[in-house]
Amino acid sequence: MADRTQRNELRATLRERFPRERSQLLPALQYIQDEHGYLPGWAMEVAGWHLGIPSSEVYGAATSYTELSTSEPASHVIKICTGLGCRANGSLELLERTKQELDSADDGNVAVEEVPCGYMCAVAPVAKWDHDWIGRATIDDLKAIAREATSI
Amino acid sequence: MTSHAQRALDALKASATQRAVAHSDMTRIVVQVGHCSAAVGADQVAKALASQVPDSSYIVTTGCDGACYDAPRVVVTSPDGARSTFSGVKTEHVGRILGSSGLPTQYESADPYVGQHRIVLDGCGEIDPTSLDEYLLAGGYSGLASALAKPQEKVIDEVKASGLRGRGGAYFPAGMKWESARKFPSPDRYLVVNCEEGEPGIFKDRHLMEGMPHRIIEGALIAAYAAGVHSIYIYINAEADLSTERMKQAVDQAARAGIIGEDVLGSGYNVSVTLRRGAGGYVCGEETTLLNTMEGDRREPRLRPPFPTEAGLFGRPTVINNAETLASVPVIMAHGAAAFAETGSEKATGTKVISLSGALERPGVVEVPMGTTLREIVFGLGGGIIGGKAIAGVAVGGPSSGILPDSMLETAIAPGMLHESGVMLGAGGVIALDENVDVLEAVRSLAKYNADESCGKCTPCREGTPRMVDALDRLLSGAGSPGDLDELRGLAEVVGAASLCGLGQAAGGPINSALHFFGDELAALAKG
Repeated sequence: MADRTQRNELRATLRERFPRERSQLLPALQYIQDEHGYLPGWAMEVAGWHLGIPSSEVYGAATSYTELSTSEPASHVIKICTGLGCRANGSLELLERTKQELDSADDGNVAVEEVPCGYMCAVAPVAKWDHDWIGRATIDDLKAIAREATSI
Repeated sequence: MTSHAQRALDALKASATQRAVAHSDMTRIVVQVGHCSAAVGADQVAKALASQVPDSSYIVTTGCDGACYDAPRVVVTSPDGARSTFSGVKTEHVGRILGSSGLPTQYESADPYVGQHRIVLDGCGEIDPTSLDEYLLAGGYSGLASALAKPQEKVIDEVKASGLRGRGGAYFPAGMKWESARKFPSPDRYLVVNCEEGEPGIFKDRHLMEGMPHRIIEGALIAAYAAGVHSIYIYINAEADLSTERMKQAVDQAARAGIIGEDVLGSGYNVSVTLRRGAGGYVCGEETTLLNTMEGDRREPRLRPPFPTEAGLFGRPTVINNAETLASVPVIMAHGAAAFAETGSEKATGTKVISLSGALERPGVVEVPMGTTLREIVFGLGGGIIGGKAIAGVAVGGPSSGILPDSMLETAIAPGMLHESGVMLGAGGVIALDENVDVLEAVRSLAKYNADESCGKCTPCREGTPRMVDALDRLLSGAGSPGDLDELRGLAEVVGAASLCGLGQAAGGPINSALHFFGDELAALAKG
C-alpha cells in the first residue's frame, strides 16, 4: 500500500501529463505500468481520481487488456510463442524444455509463459526474455541469457 | 498550372537534393533493422558497423526488405552503383563487409523480389525510414500534392475508380467509406489509422511502419483531406515499439516540413496527427472495439449500426482504415486510378501484402497482385516446405478463417471468402504446415485462440468458443462421439449468428473448414 506522498506524487504527475478526459485512461494506465512494471491498486485509484472515472470502471477497463497486469510480475519472465507459425518450427518442444530447465516462478525468479503470437512469425520460433525478443530461439540461447541475468 | 501544394513540395525536394549531394561520392551501407531482424541480431550488426565505418562510407538503418529468412541483411552500394548484398550477417562479419565493399557478394541468395509486385512495400529495406529527404527524393508526397490540388470529391472519385478495398480483412471499398463519413453532417470528423495488427500470423503492418512510415502518413493525409477530417489518430499495437518510434519520427519530420499542421503544403488545409498505443488483444483491432479503447472504455465492441462513418470516435463520423490500405493510396493519386487498377484480378485490383510463415524455406513479407495462387505464394515465393517435406495444409487469414488442404493450393487470393466453408484471405496471413503438424491440433489451437481472446460481451461467443475447444479436445483425446461433431457444427453456427463483432462471427471458420476438408479424420475420431 502506498503512502500519501506516493499518491500525491502520482497525482501531480498525471495532472501534468494527461488532460482530464476519459480518453486519457489507457495512456495513463500505460504510463503507470511503464513506471511500476504493473498496475498497483492504489495507482489505478489515483488515475480514476484524476480522470474522474470510478475505480470500478478503471479496474474493469484495465483488466480487459492482455498487456496490462494488476499483479506484480516475477523478477524475470520468459514468454514462448506457441502460435501456428512457431509450432510449425518446434515451439512446443521449446516451451516444454524451457519449463523443465528454467522455470523458477515458485521462487519469484523466472516465470515461463506461453504467448499466442509474437508477430515475428518469419523468424520462428520466437521467445521473449523480459523486454527483448529472440528470434530463431533455441533452449541454449535462453539458458545463456538466463545464466547472464540470474545465477541459475 | 502548378498548384500551391506542388510548388511547396518542389521546394522541399530541392533542398533535399542539395543535402543529398554530401553523400553522392560515398559508399552507402544499408543495415536492415526491423523488430524481427533485431531479434536475430541486426541491431548489434548496425552498432558494429557504425563503430568501424570508414570516412568514405555512410551507414543507413532501414526497415527490412521482407527476406526475413536471410536476416540480418546488409546491402552495400558503391558510388558507381555496384551493389553487394550480405545475408545472415553476424557482428564478426563486419570487418569483411567493410573491406569488401564493391566486391562480389559474400553470399548471394535468390533475388527476393522475383515474383513480387511491390507498390506498397516499394522502398522497404532500401530507403531510410527516418529520413523525410529520402522519401521525398523517391517521389514521396507527390500523391498528397496532387490530391490537395483537386476538390475533395475528385479525390474520392479517383480512389473509387481504382477499386481499392480495405486491406485489414473486410475489403470494404475505401472511397465509399470516405464518402459516407464526409457526407454525414457533423462539426468535426476523425480518421483512425488502424495499425493494431493483433492477429496471429500477421506482421505486415509492422514491417510497413518500420520500413516506409511516410507512405502510411501520406495515405492518411490524402484520406483525411478527402473525407473532410482535420484530426488523425494513428493507433499502434502495444508490442510494436520500433514501429511506434519510426512512425513518431516520421510524423515529427512531416510536421516540421509543413506537411502536417496548419496550411499543409500551402494549400490552406489543416490537419493534426496524434499517436496512440493499444494494450493488447486480438479484438482491439476490431474497429468499434478500437474506438472504445481510445475513449477509455473496456475493450469490447459496439453495436452496429450506427457505423463509425456516422457515429465513431467521440460520437463523430470516423473513417477507420488499415495501414496497408492507406499505403496504397499515394500511388493512386500520383499515377492515377487506371495505373493502379492494371494490377490484380477481375475480382479485385491492386496488390496484397502477405505475411508468410510456418514450415517454409523462405518465410517473410511479400507483396503480390490480387489473384495470385496460394501455390505461387507458398512454393514460388516461400520456397516450399523446409527440407522438401510434404505439405499438410495452409492456414490462411488467421484464427477467424481456417485451414486449406494441399488440394486447394490453386486457389487465387481474393477479397472475402476463398472457400465457402469460411476460409478467408483476411489480413493476408499464410502459414504453411508440414506433414509433421497434426492439422486437427492446429485447428484446435485456432479455436483455443478465439476462446482466449473472446472479450466476453456476447454470451454465445464467451460460452460457445470454449465449448468448441472442449469438443475438439474430446475428439483429439480419443473420447469423442458423433454427438461432438453435431455440437461443433451447431456451436459454429450459433456463435457466428449471435455475436456482435468479427471475432465471434468468424469463430466458426476453423471448425467449418475442418469439418469440410478434414471431415473423414474427424469422423474417424468421433467413432472413438
